[in-house]
Amino acid sequence: MPAIIEVENLVKSFGDFKAVKGVNFSVEEGEVFGLLGPNGAGKTTIISMLTGILKPTSGTARIGGYDIRTEMGRAKTLNGLVPQDLALYPTLSARTNLAFFGRVYGLKGRELKERIADVLRIVSLTERADEPIETFSGGMKRRINIAAGLVHQPRVLFLDEPTVGVDPQSRNHIFESVLRLNRERDMSIIYTSHYMEEVELLCSRAAIIDEGRIVALDTIKNLIGLLGGGVIHVGVERADPGLLSKLAALPMVKEAALSTAPVSAPPDAGAEASERPPLAAGAMIKIVTERSQQAVVNVIGHLNNHNIPLTSLEILEPNLESVFLHLTGKKLRD
Amino acid sequence: MNALHIAVKDLEILFRDRGTAIQLLGLPLIFILVFSGALQTLASGQQDTRLPLAVIDEDSGPLAQALKDDIDASGGIYVVPTERAAAESALDKGELARALFIPPGFSADVTAGRSTRLRLISRPDAHAPRTEAVRLVIEGVARDMALESQILLSLQQMGEMMANIPDAFAVLAVEKGPAQARAQFEASRARPLVTLTTVVPERTVAAEEVTTPAQLAVPSFTVLFVFLTAQATARSIYDEKRVGSFRRLLASPISKAELLIGKMLPNVIASLIQVVVIFGFGMVGLPLLGQPAFSLGNAPLSVALIALLMAFCSSGLGILIAALARTENQIGGLSAVILWAMGILGGSFIPIFYLERFLGPLMRVVPHYWANSAFTALLVRGAGPGEVLPQMLALLIFTSGFFAVGVWKFEFD
Repeated sequence: MPAIIEVENLVKSFGDFKAVKGVNFSVEEGEVFGLLGPNGAGKTTIISMLTGILKPTSGTARIGGYDIRTEMGRAKTLNGLVPQDLALYPTLSARTNLAFFGRVYGLKGRELKERIADVLRIVSLTERADEPIETFSGGMKRRINIAAGLVHQPRVLFLDEPTVGVDPQSRNHIFESVLRLNRERDMSIIYTSHYMEEVELLCSRAAIIDEGRIVALDTIKNLIGLLGGGVIHVGVERADPGLLSKLAALPMVKEAALSTAPVSAPPDAGAEASERPPLAAGAMIKIVTERSQQAVVNVIGHLNNHNIPLTSLEILEPNLESVFLHLTGKKLRD
Repeated sequence: MNALHIAVKDLEILFRDRGTAIQLLGLPLIFILVFSGALQTLASGQQDTRLPLAVIDEDSGPLAQALKDDIDASGGIYVVPTERAAAESALDKGELARALFIPPGFSADVTAGRSTRLRLISRPDAHAPRTEAVRLVIEGVARDMALESQILLSLQQMGEMMANIPDAFAVLAVEKGPAQARAQFEASRARPLVTLTTVVPERTVAAEEVTTPAQLAVPSFTVLFVFLTAQATARSIYDEKRVGSFRRLLASPISKAELLIGKMLPNVIASLIQVVVIFGFGMVGLPLLGQPAFSLGNAPLSVALIALLMAFCSSGLGILIAALARTENQIGGLSAVILWAMGILGGSFIPIFYLERFLGPLMRVVPHYWANSAFTALLVRGAGPGEVLPQMLALLIFTSGFFAVGVWKFEFD
């Protein structure tokens, strides 16, 4: 499939601070592409450059063949942006908001009316169309926010953290809308989020971004595959290279190394657990496994046999969250 | 076209917000009603409504006194006896609008039937209709006085003739008397004993301080509140940035210039609506409330042009405030300090011809002064369009300056 977006060595600096440090990627026509990274990683800055809000410091990108440095005006007609903020006028009705954004893209008359009716159907808010946005729930506002980015039928839709502050029901509705737009209208979508489940669910490929750099880019399956069968973080009172090489040689273990990664409290540990320090004293060993459940049995058995007390243990199932932790040493929501 | 879409949307938002609508339209009317009413009460309770006329009597004869008494008795004018030096100095400083000079020998000349000349000196920027009224009163009084003198002279001549003719020709004397009087009347018309010359020096001095309270309060509060709408422009831009719709607009095929023009236009339109509503209230509402009506003066088109320039200037100022302020509080703070201080300094609370006496050229650093100055000239002094060109130019310069610095400092992203 041809690429609708090609990004080449894109850089953005704000004074001495480099927010985006030379990223390269491409998005195929009709693809849902994820940009995954924590807050401040540079996702919104990349989207701002691709949509013409910010000018790149260096590098460039082409959208539908139009260079964003020299033909941004044309590129803009292909883009639709759903910003992270609720970029709407609260005192105006949903219909008036959509009409305004449609007119800005040159729509008028019957075509504008039809487009508004269509996007209201997509986000299932036809009945509330004539009510002021300020009377809507947070989730409904988010849906109208998406509708405003769709009203002119863009070829590329940029969804920048579209589910922030949204209730589960509205979140599911947004997911359905995104998938339907991609499936039925062949719309290319760039989806940024720091929720790995969303990217796993919606995107065929994703770029993992940290501190302005892409640290991994692949299909979701391949990205998760980086962790093999999962990762175990083992806290011990002491560790030496000998212990690490013995652990690495155990069955179902791919590699073992000293880790500086933080270990989160178990999700069901409750208040009691949260009062405990996340890191036990001593050393933390990160063990990449082929199959985590069998590997953990082998590791604990080895430590018991050698009288090495275990101070903590965490098993990270293979998913994008653990991939990110594995790649950057940081948690996505840090 | 996109700028128009933004403007229409902003106007819809603006007029849905009742608080803003009250600030734009309700507050000015309350200010005008209160200030105009209070000034009117003071004026009717304390002031002589007759026009003062400084009279320099260099004759001190009985007919000069009679002239002054008759002017005083005319009803519309009262005589203020003044020394020559004091009058000239007051005219110089702009403290006097006009003065009447009675020349030495005035009484003797009129009594003897010789021509004499009164001089009415009027400042170039004195209220022209009032100067004309004063001139007509003096001319009327002088004409009556000359006629009276002519009749007396005629009768005196007739008496002299009667004394010298024989009784047999007395019938001729009866015919000769009216004929002689008619001849004197004709001579009086053809060669008036007392003529009045109106002198207007070329030098420009401060404006005359004569008007109704409404004529001062309506335009000056209009200026204040039109410039206060700059805050609405700044707040609208800030809100658009805060909710993120500014980013969405920047990502759409709309140029930055269109975006800024679109944000300026609603303020221009709202300002013009303000002017129409406030002036309309002055013309129709104030008389209904028992106060003197506001008038658009002799050059309503110039008034409209000043209003338009002022609306653009206020919008430019709004862009500048939006560019300088980083938070909502800063917008509120900057607006309060800048706009109200400018209003006070620029003569929106105290008429500029009073304020100028102690603030002098300092007033000229704010656009409010130029707008108020133009309105004073057009609406108080009855000036024509040509006389407010400097004010128009000044407003244009302020508008360009505000817009240029605003765009320069504006952070689109």
